[in-house]
Amino acid sequence: MTKNLVISTAVFAAMTAAPALAQDISVKLGVLNDRSGVYADLSGEGSVVAARMAVEDFKAAENGMNVEIISADHQNKPDIGSNITRQWYDVDGVNAILDVPTSSVALAVADITAENNGVFLISGAGSTALTREQCRPTSVHWTYDTASLANGTGAALTNAGGKKWFFMTADYAFGHSLEENTSAVVEANGGEVVGQVNVPFPNQDFSSFLLQAQGSGADVIGLANAGGDTVNSIKQASEFGITQAGQKLAALLMFTNDVHALGVQTAQGLSLTEAFYWDQNDETRAWSDRFMEAHGSMPNMVQAGVYSSTMAYLAAVKELGSAEDGKAIVDKMKAMDIEDPLFGKVTVRADGRALHDMYLFEVKTPDESTGEWDLYKEISSISGEEAFLPMLEECDFSKK
Amino acid sequence: MFELLGVPPQVLLGQLLLGLINGSFYAVLSLGLAVIFGLLNIINFAHGALYMAGAFVAWMLLNYLGIGYWPALFVAPLIVGVFGVVIERTMLSRLYHLDHLYGLLLTFGLALIIQGLFRNYYGISGLPYQIPAVLSGGQNLGFMFLPNYRAWVVVASVLVCFATWFAIEKTRLGAYLRAATENPTLVGAFGVNVPLMVMLTYGFGVALAGFAGVLAAPIYSVNPTMGEQLIIVVFAVVVIGGMGSIMGAIVTGYMLGIVEGLTRVFYPEGSAVVIFVIMAIVLMIKPEGLFGRTA
Amino acid sequence: MTEPLSNVLLKVQDLRGWYDESHVLHGIDFEVRQGEVVTLLGRNGAGKTSTLLAIMGILAKRAGSITFNGTEMISLQPRQIARLGMALCPEERGIFSSLSVEENLMLPPRIADGGLSVERIYDLFPNLYERRKSSQGTKLSGGEQQMLAIARILRTGAKFLLLDEPTEGLAPVIVQQIGHTIKALKDEGFTIVLVEQNFRFAASVADRHYVVDQGKVVDMIPNDQLEENAQKLHDYLGV
Ligand SMILES: Nc1ncnc2c1ncn2[C@@H]1O[C@H](COP(=O)(O)OP(=O)(O)O)[C@@H](O)[C@H]1O
Ligand SMILES: [Mg+2]
Repeated sequence: MTKNLVISTAVFAAMTAAPALAQDISVKLGVLNDRSGVYADLSGEGSVVAARMAVEDFKAAENGMNVEIISADHQNKPDIGSNITRQWYDVDGVNAILDVPTSSVALAVADITAENNGVFLISGAGSTALTREQCRPTSVHWTYDTASLANGTGAALTNAGGKKWFFMTADYAFGHSLEENTSAVVEANGGEVVGQVNVPFPNQDFSSFLLQAQGSGADVIGLANAGGDTVNSIKQASEFGITQAGQKLAALLMFTNDVHALGVQTAQGLSLTEAFYWDQNDETRAWSDRFMEAHGSMPNMVQAGVYSSTMAYLAAVKELGSAEDGKAIVDKMKAMDIEDPLFGKVTVRADGRALHDMYLFEVKTPDESTGEWDLYKEISSISGEEAFLPMLEECDFSKK
Repeated sequence: MFELLGVPPQVLLGQLLLGLINGSFYAVLSLGLAVIFGLLNIINFAHGALYMAGAFVAWMLLNYLGIGYWPALFVAPLIVGVFGVVIERTMLSRLYHLDHLYGLLLTFGLALIIQGLFRNYYGISGLPYQIPAVLSGGQNLGFMFLPNYRAWVVVASVLVCFATWFAIEKTRLGAYLRAATENPTLVGAFGVNVPLMVMLTYGFGVALAGFAGVLAAPIYSVNPTMGEQLIIVVFAVVVIGGMGSIMGAIVTGYMLGIVEGLTRVFYPEGSAVVIFVIMAIVLMIKPEGLFGRTA
Repeated sequence: MTEPLSNVLLKVQDLRGWYDESHVLHGIDFEVRQGEVVTLLGRNGAGKTSTLLAIMGILAKRAGSITFNGTEMISLQPRQIARLGMALCPEERGIFSSLSVEENLMLPPRIADGGLSVERIYDLFPNLYERRKSSQGTKLSGGEQQMLAIARILRTGAKFLLLDEPTEGLAPVIVQQIGHTIKALKDEGFTIVLVEQNFRFAASVADRHYVVDQGKVVDMIPNDQLEENAQKLHDYLGV
């Protein structure tokens, strides 16, 4: 009798618990990025595809979670990005916002997320301010930042003998900060900056500036620019025989899709730092092939970062059993040991900075490249501690 | 050796030459705009988008049909020109009896649509297009390394500009064009098919843009926004030279390329605005433009 | 029905015409026979120029009937009308400033055989020969421009000319020269419709005169009956 009662209670409990487990946690993710402008290829629909793959791979439904993904175009404008973010939190019940390239938009989203106790999983934006001057307890800066790129490329090239640097700097805040970060790294490693030129942004013809760089006698020409400007400067450097004459080009912010746009014929020999490349190991290849299938191009580190940060986020939500308390979820992510198929070992530091290895790549020569997307060879890897800036005291949220 | 404001003469010479190369693009593009404005009285805002289309068509010819750079130099402008003819027949021709502003708005809208379509299908990062093998490498001129391809750009643009100038100023067909620019009604009353001429002129003007696009493909990033930036500068060039003046468009194009090149040496930050500053000054002193005919 | 039709080259019937909404021709009727010089006389604003423009198709909004050589032209485009062998020398002369004198002269395309040769034209207008290399057609004097405007339509093979006030504002010697030219052209077989305000000049070259008033043809006077109709004409023209 007693035994029967225990069993039936257990069965009853199991019966009532099971549907609760299957349906109780509902999660809404908002992918906010550039879907039509200059960053549409580096984030855009590809990031949405990556988020969808994460939900699929996490087996959300089997884990009792009901995950919905929505997306929007912020057009690289902070006001538009802010409006969408507010609407998502206030009206649509979004729990986490993903990606957000363009630092000015990301900084606005970080604030609104903190006010609403949501979660901000940053992949597309690169400003170090996101975990420094404007660090927030609800932000996780997953993929890269300008300091890690500078550390990767700047330190590696300087140590490899590129002591004299010349910067071609896009004449706006982003370009100047990239130059500043990299100069510091170059000088810390015993190099020197022999000159620089501020190039109007955006610009199409870089030949004049390349000629000035050539005349400076620098070993390395640092390209403190992005997107089409970077592509044009590299294309024209190749044309003017800059690299053949022995100077090295360092792209300080460049993504796989940009190198693909240039082709290895033009981009060969270029050094750059990334957090992820599709052809690193069996796991990255398998995932990237699926991404290619779904999206029609290989993923870059931003899109891979959207996938991985979403995976980690869902794991934290599952453990907590709820997606409501953003700060608690981020704290959980900071406490977890994350073993990610794409980024390897990842720890989220108390300031929200995700630490993982960064890699210095060199673009292959046409002889080395075996296919359209066979672009990089790995030169070295840099540990997360080395690559990213140390934590600021005031951003240590474990003490607050 | 003397130095000018700390700049050695070899460097200066190099920069002058580079300016001339950029001026080549300005000249070909502003020439097309001037030809169109002259006869159609339309400020063709789609010019930049059609320049971009020229570069993309060259890429497509290569990647879909295996047609290389040299044939593309003729085929791509032809395709862009035919596209222009279609635009003129189906859209622009309905606007001639209205204010200039309508043509401007229509072509501006077309530019956005063309750009949007390319962005949709080919993304924003751009596509690779190589310098043709015979023109790779370059010459060491002592004061600078001149890529062979850039030298070709100057030669090609001078040839095209000269041929266009000659055709307009020195041939019978050109006389029709000039006359129709002044008084289309009377030229029509002489038995000339003016609407046909207008259509072909628009087609030719945009074919020039397509030609510039093919010239640009190997050295500039082939992406949907490549025309957007350039065209604003080219409009300034046309205003400085004088709307509708053929010689003015050509000479001003080369001249401003050089001025911009020099600015890049002495005050690089200002190189993006120097042309607009000149435009403002010219508009104040000689509103009809340096080579403009007073009406 | 009594006249042989083949003799009438141009027949204008009940021609009405509008500039946008403004109705200016209210029923023009006249005809021109092969080889004639016919004038349209009338006060300023009577509708003479508008009549020529309507015939040429330049005044596009028009109704009624215009037959030329048996072809109905009322719905044809100017360029089609030109191709039938009709040419206009407009009132404002229409010399192109971006064309040299020679280019102006050579501009109108040849539409039929039998036009005057360039030598013959320079023969008729020696001044033009001297100024042919001049860079801008509009740098010529008023008289020279008028001669150029006439000269350029003689080359094309068109044998039917519409001349709109060729003597307006010109010095007497030049008027005289133009008079000689018109007579010479008549002798070469050209048919001419001449719009004039200069009554004495008209009388010296024309076969018949039509009087236009307020958009209508109100009278026709053969040149040999001018004397007896002098008073009537005076009233029409208000001179
Ligand atoms: N472009 C025009 N638009 C409107 N009305 C016009 C135009 N040209 C002429 N008119 C009017 O048409 C009438 C006839 O003018 P026109 O044929 O030039 O006379 P004429 O040549 O006999 O002096 C006049 O009342 C004149 O004001
Ligand atoms: Mg008149």
